[in-house]
Amino acid sequence: MDIDAAVKRGRGYLFVDGFAEMAAGVVFALLGGVLLLGGLMPAEPLLSRILATGTGVLIVKAAGFVAAALAIWWFKDRFTYPRTGYVRQKRISVSQLFVLARNAFLVLALPLLVLGAAMAFVPAMRGALFSIPIWAPALLGGVWGIPCYWLGEWTGLRRFRLFGIGILFAGVAVGAVQLLVGVPNALASGFPAQALSRTLVAMGSLTVLCGAAFALSGLVTFLHYRRENPMPSGRES
Amino acid sequence: MTEPRHSLLDLDRVIHEPARLLLVALLSSVDSADFLFLLKESGLTKGNLSVHLTRLEEAGYLSVEKSFRGKIPHTEYKLTPKGSSALDRYRKSLGPILNPKKGRK
Repeated sequence: MDIDAAVKRGRGYLFVDGFAEMAAGVVFALLGGVLLLGGLMPAEPLLSRILATGTGVLIVKAAGFVAAALAIWWFKDRFTYPRTGYVRQKRISVSQLFVLARNAFLVLALPLLVLGAAMAFVPAMRGALFSIPIWAPALLGGVWGIPCYWLGEWTGLRRFRLFGIGILFAGVAVGAVQLLVGVPNALASGFPAQALSRTLVAMGSLTVLCGAAFALSGLVTFLHYRRENPMPSGRES
Repeated sequence: MTEPRHSLLDLDRVIHEPARLLLVALLSSVDSADFLFLLKESGLTKGNLSVHLTRLEEAGYLSVEKSFRGKIPHTEYKLTPKGSSALDRYRKSLGPILNPKKGRK
């Protein structure tokens, strides 16, 4: 084992047993379910539909994150630590969190804000809004796929690199399917509701797909880990 | 020829030992880890691992925290800032030795 591989082994220990992936898979599947429900809800009134879906997404994200963290900690404490040892991962400092938030804003929020402003004030740009069911899933694929690939590089876990590429391509593929279906008609009176439905269904499908892939990969990793690391004698799982 | 030979002799001998280098590298990416993790990841025997950890602790590269998890004794090892900078220095000093032309640039 070289020095870099040893460093990456420590970083990737969180994912050694598959629990984190399974938990992420469940949260992604729930999130996708909320988006799909939002897409299939009655079209009117539009505002209440946006609020209901947004609230659902926020609740699943917040509650899902807390529940997943607790579940991972509980399972690791009883299953992983007695088998292959305990590792406390490095904590993120406030300054690192600030840098992370600033970079996320610069990479994600700023382009979206600029695009939103351009759509609002430049009439020619409004056309981009009509194609939102096409580019939104592709964008989402990039938003998840690129950090996932980077996580694979950082931890040396090949499956995350493959996930990253897979999610990116899945996002582009969902967008391509939307393109084949056709851009919502700008002149139709039900345009915002129709575009919103198709966007939510596209993003929900992509999210459920990612969740299923994560959960399956986590399950395979868990079974492999359990086979390779039997409980030491005198300890119960 | 003098410079690389001088660099070789200047290498940190505490870290230069492969088993200890592996232990320091493993601990460099985490906040702390217990004996079992280091045992599984290094593939060393318990006695051998214990000796190397003691050597690193004596050099001030590791700090040790003993506690109980339930009724089971639990020992956690953490790389100290001195250990962390020693690993950085070691990695940097290897560059010119392995690739002298690149090191002189």
